Amino acid sequence: MDLPSRSILWRIVALIIGGIFIYAGVMKIFDPVGFANDIDNYKILPWPLTVRLAFYLPWLEILCGLAVILGLLYRGGLLILTMLISIFMVASVIAKARGLDITCGCFGHASRYLSFFGHLALDFVLLAVLVALWFTNRAQRQEL
Amino acid sequence: MKVSAVRQALLLIALALVPAIGEAIYFRNKVSWQSPIPASELVTVEQAQSWGDNVIWVDARPENEFERDHIPGAILLNEDRWNELLPQFLGQWSPEKRVVVYCSAQSCNASRDVAKRLRDEAQLKNVFILDGGWEGWLKNKR
Repeated sequence: MDLPSRSILWRIVALIIGGIFIYAGVMKIFDPVGFANDIDNYKILPWPLTVRLAFYLPWLEILCGLAVILGLLYRGGLLILTMLISIFMVASVIAKARGLDITCGCFGHASRYLSFFGHLALDFVLLAVLVALWFTNRAQRQEL
Repeated sequence: MKVSAVRQALLLIALALVPAIGEAIYFRNKVSWQSPIPASELVTVEQAQSWGDNVIWVDARPENEFERDHIPGAILLNEDRWNELLPQFLGQWSPEKRVVVYCSAQSCNASRDVAKRLRDEAQLKNVFILDGGWEGWLKNKR
C-alpha cells in the first residue's frame, strides 16, 4: 500500500475510534448517577470522588474523541484515551479478582449486558488501535 | 515530542473541567454528593417494620442467597433475571405500598441498582433501601 492510501486508512481508523469515545461519553452524560454507580461498583474510590469523576470523565472522553477526529491536540487525546483504557482494564481485572460483580458502564446502559470478557476484549482492541495510531502518527511525523 | 503530547493532554484535561462543572451545577440537586444513597431513600429495619403490612420487601441478592434465607415475605427481584422477575413483583405491588429493597450488606450495590430501575423503568415512587441490608436485618433480629 502506498503512503497516501495508508494515511487515508489510518485517518478512517482515527475517525472510528474518536467516534466510539464520543458515543461512550455522550451515553454517560445523560445518566451521571448511573455512571457514578458503575464506577462505585469497582469499590476503589470513595463516593464523593466517584460522583465527581462521573461528571468529569465523559466530557474528557468526548473532548479526546473530538481531538482524535479533528486532529487538534491529536497526540494529547490519544495519550489520555490510552491511559483511560489501560487504567480501566487494570481496574476491571482487579475487581474481577476480588470477586466483584461489576457492570463496566463503558457505554452507559448499552453495555449493561456485556460480559466481563466481552468488555475486556473490546477494551483490548481499542487499546491496540490507540497504540497503533500513536506509532503511525509518530512515523508520519518522522517522514515529513 | 513527548513533552508536547503531555502538554496537549494537560490542556484537554483542563478543558474538560468546563462542561463537567456546568453539568454538575445543572444536576446539583439531583445527586447525592456525600453518600451513594441519599438519606431520604434509606430506611432502618425498625422504620420499615413500623410500616407493617404496607411494605413490600424486595430481595436484590442472587437467587441462591435468596433461597438460603430471606426476610419473611420478601420477593426476589435482581438484575440477573430482571425481565422475568419484574412482572411477578408488579403482580404483588399496589400504589399504597412502600417498597424496601435490600442486598447483602451496606456496601453492596444491588439494592441501589434495583431501586433505581424500579424508579426509572417501572416509574414507582416510595422505593427505599434497607440500611445495612440483609446483614443489618440479621443483626437486628439477634
